[in-house]
Formats: sequence, structure tokens, C-alpha cells
Amino acid sequence: MTPLQLGTLSLPDGRDLHARLLAYDPVAPSDLAMAYFEPLTAWLEALYPRLYPHECATAAGDAIMALIKNPHSYKPERQRRESLLSYLRMSATAKLSNLLRAERRHGNRRANLDAVALSPVMGKYLGDEDADPARIVERREEESAASTPPPLPDSLRATLSPVEIEMLRLMDLKERKTIVFARLLGIADQPVAEQRREVKRAKDRLHKRRQRAGTDHD
Amino acid sequence: MTSGIDQFARNAASDPFFLGSALADYAASEHLDDAGLAASLGCREELLTPLRLCRRPRTEPSLFRADIEAIVGRFAVNADTLAEAVRRSDALRRLRGTAAHGDGMLMAARDREPNGDGTESTS
Repeated sequence: MTPLQLGTLSLPDGRDLHARLLAYDPVAPSDLAMAYFEPLTAWLEALYPRLYPHECATAAGDAIMALIKNPHSYKPERQRRESLLSYLRMSATAKLSNLLRAERRHGNRRANLDAVALSPVMGKYLGDEDADPARIVERREEESAASTPPPLPDSLRATLSPVEIEMLRLMDLKERKTIVFARLLGIADQPVAEQRREVKRAKDRLHKRRQRAGTDHD
Repeated sequence: MTSGIDQFARNAASDPFFLGSALADYAASEHLDDAGLAASLGCREELLTPLRLCRRPRTEPSLFRADIEAIVGRFAVNADTLAEAVRRSDALRRLRGTAAHGDGMLMAARDREPNGDGTESTS
């Protein structure tokens, strides 16, 4: 086996990594976590900028841990269209939703017990149901379920980069924040006006490509 | 400051599925901090994070050897120390496991049951 340097494992190795997990390769869990933990956490943070970073890290870790413990849960033959990264993103989103729901339940109990002495976290959510992170995630899932777009045809998907596929997914979720797309495009450090221009250009391009492929549901 | 992946690896060390649990047992038994553990394994301290996240080697001798070799092949750590760390952790856990069942230590101190011929049973 060729020794790998830290941080050089590229994400497209997902299939190989999964096969190694199934084969009890003792290094595979480490490679999976080292390759996917940070990108998965960063993706959740970009998607849910109002959440605390540690919540995103916990959800990312839970998703990776679940796959390490039960690699059979990912079925590449059934999920040919979904890369391991996409699978982990779905899993992490579900873990985040569960985590926030549990925190909210805990928060509600605390609020009942101690309605006067509110913690800063409780104070943030009380009286503003829409600001509750669990509600944000739930709402996004509900919106996604309510307006599921037709799947991308393979011919179109094959021509899209992972970032473009993710952009389309966020557009389908009615994501409006420029910064979310700017982070995806890697231009979050540029001036806001420049970000807006670049994000709009990228979105318009994707709209047109989807229209040409005949799957634009807008 | 501990990064997210470092923290994830440290948390994983509480799970016997991961090599991190064996390294933690070994470090505790040798009174080693991270720097000491890394020195003992002959590696850089930052390598402890991916090492902790490896699966713990399987116990069956041929698989144990193969797993140790796979980990050493990747991280170039000291094979003898790594194998010793896992074996010691296994022993410590067995001891804790039997102690937790409440009979391990007591059995060691109990007189053997005499056989019918007056000799002591060795089982």
C-alpha cells in the first residue's frame, strides 16, 4: 500500500474508500474521516450559517461515524448518481435535524422549568420560532419535499461539476443568500458586489443549461 | 487550539472500535501525554489524529498481524510499540470486563475446588 500524506486524499476516492471500509481495512475509517470531516462541516456551516459551528461539526462527525460503523448503509450500486460525498451530506443533514430537534426538546423542558432565567441560547429562540435552527432545517426539508424538482438527466449531470450540482440543489431549495453560493464558489472573500455578480452569472448559466435539458421546473 | 477533526478523533478514542482507544489505554498505563505517546510510537504528534481514527486491529493472530502491518505501512510508526499498545489495551479491557462482572479478581483469590481424589482442580 502506498503511504499517503495527510490531506492529499481526494474526494473522488469515495468508492474505493467505501470498498475498503467493507473489507475491514483498518486505515479506511481514518482516511474517510480525514478526507470528509472538514469538507462536510464546512458545507453544513455554509448551508446553515445561523447555526453554531460545533453543531455542524457534531452532525458531520455523526454522519461519518454512522458510515464507519455500518458501511453497508451506503449502496453505491443503488445510488449511482450520488457520490459518497452526496450521501454523507444527506446523512449529515438528517443528523443535524435530529440534533437540533433534541436540543429544542431539551430547551423546551428548560424553558418550562425555568421560564424566567433564560440562557442566551434559549433567549435567542424564544418568541422567534423561525429563528430556531431546528425549524430552519425542518423548513428547508419541507420546502424541498414540497417542490421536488425533476431529477437531472444523466446527460446534464455528466456535464456538471460537483459545485454546480450543489448550486442547483440549493436553488431548488429556494436558497436566496448570496453568501451561501459565494462560499460554494470559493469567492466569499471577494467584495459583496463582486460576489453578487458572480453568483448571479453562475445561477443564470445553470438555469439556461437546465432549460436546454428540458428539466427546469421554475 | 484543537481542530474539529482532532476533537472528533479524541471522542472516537472512547470507542473500542477505534485504535484511539488502545492508544489511550497505553498512554494512560505509561503516563504519557500526546508528545510522549508520539515519541514512543516514533511519529510526529499530528499523526496521532489519523492514527486514533484507524480501526482497532482484529484479535485473531493472522488478522492482528495484517492489521498492524497495514497501519504501520501507512503511518510508519513503530510496529512493536503499536502491537504492544493494542495487546496491553486488550489485556486491560479483559481485566476490566471480568472485574465488571464481579468474579474475575475474586476467582483469582479463591481456593480451588478439590477433586474427588483430594487433588485440586486446575480448571
